Amino acid sequence: MFITFAFVTLLGALGMLLQKNVIVAGLCMVATFFGVAGLFLLLANPVAAALQIIVYSGAIMVLVLFVIMMLNSHEEEAAQTARPVQRWVSVALVAALAFGAVKLVLTSAGLKDLARSGEPMPGAMTLQKVGTTLFAEHLLGFEVAGILLLAAMVGAVALTKRDL
Amino acid sequence: MDKLASLLHTTPAIVWMVGKVVVVFLSVFLLASVWTWVERRGSAMIQDRIGPNRALLFGRWPILGLSQLLADGIKFFFKEDLVPEAANKGLFWLAPFLAFVPALMGFAVIPVGKSFVCDGVTYHLSVLDPGNGMGLLYPLAIGGLAVYGVLLAAWSSNNKWSILGGMRASATMVSYEIGISMAVVAVFMVSGGYDPAEVIKAQGHLPWTWYVARQPLGFLVFFTCMFAETNRLPFDFAEGESEIVAGFNTEYGSMKFSLLALAEYSHLMTASALIATLYFGGWQVPFMADPPVLLSVASFLAKMLFFAWVFVWIRWTLPRFRYDQLMHLGWKILLPLSMANLVFHAWRMSQGH
Repeated sequence: MFITFAFVTLLGALGMLLQKNVIVAGLCMVATFFGVAGLFLLLANPVAAALQIIVYSGAIMVLVLFVIMMLNSHEEEAAQTARPVQRWVSVALVAALAFGAVKLVLTSAGLKDLARSGEPMPGAMTLQKVGTTLFAEHLLGFEVAGILLLAAMVGAVALTKRDL
Repeated sequence: MDKLASLLHTTPAIVWMVGKVVVVFLSVFLLASVWTWVERRGSAMIQDRIGPNRALLFGRWPILGLSQLLADGIKFFFKEDLVPEAANKGLFWLAPFLAFVPALMGFAVIPVGKSFVCDGVTYHLSVLDPGNGMGLLYPLAIGGLAVYGVLLAAWSSNNKWSILGGMRASATMVSYEIGISMAVVAVFMVSGGYDPAEVIKAQGHLPWTWYVARQPLGFLVFFTCMFAETNRLPFDFAEGESEIVAGFNTEYGSMKFSLLALAEYSHLMTASALIATLYFGGWQVPFMADPPVLLSVASFLAKMLFFAWVFVWIRWTLPRFRYDQLMHLGWKILLPLSMANLVFHAWRMSQGH
């Protein structure tokens, strides 16, 4: 199962990068998010999986809509000049990032906990647990995020609607 | 079942699971195709016509024109399969499936009857057993995906009318999803769980404790939004045939068109099942605390089919809205109403503690 979902995720991501057609690229992105949702399910977190699909599929939908509305060609344009330096710099940066991420995971405390056996497995995540965690332990962060989103929403309305 | 399992070299659990998947999805599929006939007969009844009554089963039995289904199916299969010259071929093929599969998948989480115990093993009558952790978030997630089928069908046809239809469908979906979610959150809050089994259990067997009586406002919002979500009249802007020919399926013919139509009806079935589960006590039989399993299934089916019929009924009763009226209704009426519903029930719960 893990291999299947990992393949869906990776192939979707690759397709998104390589596709010239913007809408097909958007669809590949949906496939990627599906794969990630599957991985969440395997990690015993069905709530995150469901929210992943609800939030991201809705978001990409809006992106795809923007593409249809704003762009006429639907095709990516080729670069006017080759940029060899930028290419190598970006490859080096990505390699460094990937190396750092893998190293972080391999040295994290969570991995050592996995090696321990005999302890009871934590139960699957439920919506109730998410709610209590959000409102009991991360209340400040939650409220700040809420205010930030509200500000963004007010800003968006104010920018697009000059005469209210 | 043990015998069957040993015959097939598997475990009874797997046989039960596969059986459930096949039976549930096949019946939804069949009901969806029967509903194309119900729609035509129903519209004929409402408009004082006769409707399809000519097709004969094996050239002999005219069962109220029901064999029209088979005739239509055969016709669609053998029609020439045309793909427009300028269409994006791959997506044009993919779109009907992308529309059909989510419409059917949403049904997986809905319990069609009471769970029962047989030989010490509990059997649940839903494809995804209760306690799967996705609960009613799952149909919401899957329902949101259905619009990709419509949008892709529209975009890949490379036709201005199709694009207009697809844009309208997706804009409708994005706007109405918020109203639906808010209404459903109020249900989650009052029942204290988001698994359909818990929601049904919390509603009890008395009709006045069902959520339709306890949250009439939430029900109205959810019910109205479902029409937009399933692209049914009065909100079927994806294919307003008086305005944009046939909208997103203008370029579709033969079996691909049939799949798109079936997707709409499967969506309708899933939506009716959701309404029955969330607001009408699911499989609960009125005034029976502990109904027999078969009766509970019959009760669920009766509720679901009733709402499926209401969808048909309303389609042939109300005229289509105008597009700006639809947006106005969604953002300025339904969304505030469902928010008011949520806040009111939160306030009542806080008073109760």
